[in-house]
Amino acid sequence: MEFGLIYELSTPRPFTRETQKAVYENAIEQVVLAEQLGFSSVWCVEHHFLEEYSHASCPEMFLTAVARATSRIRVGFGIATCVPAMHHPIRWAEKAAFLDILSGGRVEFGTGRSSTWNELGGFDAVIDDTKKTWDEYIRVIPQMWMNERYGYEGQFHRMPERNVLPKPWQDPHPPMWVAVTAAGTELEAADRGMGALILSIADVERCAPRIAAYRERVKHATPVGAFVNEQIAIANWLYCHPDNALAKQRGDELVGTFGYMAGQTIEVSEAYPANNYKALGLLSSLRPDPSAPDAQKKPPESGLCFGSPAQLIETCRRWEEAGADQLVFMVQAREHLPQQEVLDSLKLFGREVLPHFSRQARRPVAVNA
Amino acid sequence: MSAPELLYGQRPANTFGTKAAPLTKDTAGEVVLKRAQVHYSLFELPMANVLPRLPTALHPSVPAAMGLTVWKCPEGPLGSFSVAWVGVACRTGIKPRHLIHGAWCDREDVSLWLRARYGVDCTLAAISSLETWDRAWSKIEVAGVPILELVTENPQPLVPGSTVKYSPVLNAARVEDAVTLVQMESAFDFHRVLRGVPRLPVYAAEAMGDAGLSPHYPISGTWAEVDITLLPPRFKLDPEIPAEQGGASRL
Repeated sequence: MEFGLIYELSTPRPFTRETQKAVYENAIEQVVLAEQLGFSSVWCVEHHFLEEYSHASCPEMFLTAVARATSRIRVGFGIATCVPAMHHPIRWAEKAAFLDILSGGRVEFGTGRSSTWNELGGFDAVIDDTKKTWDEYIRVIPQMWMNERYGYEGQFHRMPERNVLPKPWQDPHPPMWVAVTAAGTELEAADRGMGALILSIADVERCAPRIAAYRERVKHATPVGAFVNEQIAIANWLYCHPDNALAKQRGDELVGTFGYMAGQTIEVSEAYPANNYKALGLLSSLRPDPSAPDAQKKPPESGLCFGSPAQLIETCRRWEEAGADQLVFMVQAREHLPQQEVLDSLKLFGREVLPHFSRQARRPVAVNA
Repeated sequence: MSAPELLYGQRPANTFGTKAAPLTKDTAGEVVLKRAQVHYSLFELPMANVLPRLPTALHPSVPAAMGLTVWKCPEGPLGSFSVAWVGVACRTGIKPRHLIHGAWCDREDVSLWLRARYGVDCTLAAISSLETWDRAWSKIEVAGVPILELVTENPQPLVPGSTVKYSPVLNAARVEDAVTLVQMESAFDFHRVLRGVPRLPVYAAEAMGDAGLSPHYPISGTWAEVDITLLPPRFKLDPEIPAEQGGASRL
């Protein structure tokens, strides 16, 4: 199993220039350290207008900065939003290929469709169409990468034959992923031969059947690109400390802070009833669910990585046995923890937990990677 | 670590709930309103208008939003009645709520029941609602003067069930002689749901409860046929203390 980091780049008020810069710089420092410790990937979300929760409106810029400060760690879009009001598919093909070259072939291309009224309403997007547009984008983007010249007539965009440049460093193209929030989306990933970046499960026992279903379904995939990317990465939290109780306390603080920030946003399901948005987005199982019965308000704890090294070895082992290929960790929330504490937690995990796990993941075939 | 700056309401608690009604002990249990018609619309409005009007225990939704709700209840233990309210979207801790700043009811006895049970202070009004093929329409008139006309145009059917979420409402009431925010909580069993584009031919802001709060940008409008279960009041919130700091408790 491999380990990675995922960034929302949440930012505390007041939103000063200095605070914003510190959030970005601290995250880059954490990634540089993580690479030295043996972490294998870093992912950055794309969000817009989500005050405090996420100031990561340009993941490609963050990932480029990270790529130029590192040499091995893979850089993942977590995710690139496939909504016409936000991005044209040509632009995503160009940006991802550009970063793939600058990073020497380290891009993981995660895709998705956004889940808040803040974002979709802010861009005046057609909310009912986001599943359809996502499907069109993920089919045409690999074609733009693989064909010298390519043109198409889609339902949402059309383009005459053009040479979309540059082409990616990885041959034939970077691995494709989809963000999984609602139950069942992992099967959509499998059908399309895409990796599942699971953002909605924090409980190992609940996750295992979904991983098994993905593995079975992906055997019969019709890949949207040139190959099947059979990988499952699971978003999680990390705080590692010799004192197990202290680690759990810090974990509660991170989850509480995260829940406060996510709770202020307006989910599509709260504001704009639609058949294609029934579940909470925004990492719903990594925070308390505001709509759940009282007993289920808190997120399940069985899979969260808050604890001592011994505790986290056990937790990660359970994820590995459930079939996860990667755990990708959030390590901060609105700069709640001092930077040194985050770095210390990473160092302890890297020194005492990470060596217990093989780094042989189900890496797809990409010649230059 | 310094305490982070958080986004809470700015209205002093001592200016809140000056007309709050005393809550009486509830004995009715759950009240089921079969085949009710719910006309609901959500609009954005400027954050600068909302923050001065929320008590310090609540933080606003981001973006700021307000909801208009009309219930037409043809049957149930209370008989046939209609009730409507307007509220600002807010959060108690992580939970989405609407803080009522105006409410209306077309029957005085039901109005008194709502006031005693939840502290909802309704103005007596004529309330009309109608679903047609091209729109859903609701109107509130007070003393013959229209103060609200809400239209949801081009309604399209949705799969009933978890697609629609109505936020529970909060309103000021007197509990043990202290001004308290009390939650009116309901469960919904949907039979039919339509979604369309909301429009407001008439919105008299002052008559709707606050001259400084007007809908600015439409989000969505829905019309639903639904069984409503009105639950007894269970929670209260100190308007000065946020839920995450212990301001919320059981009644």
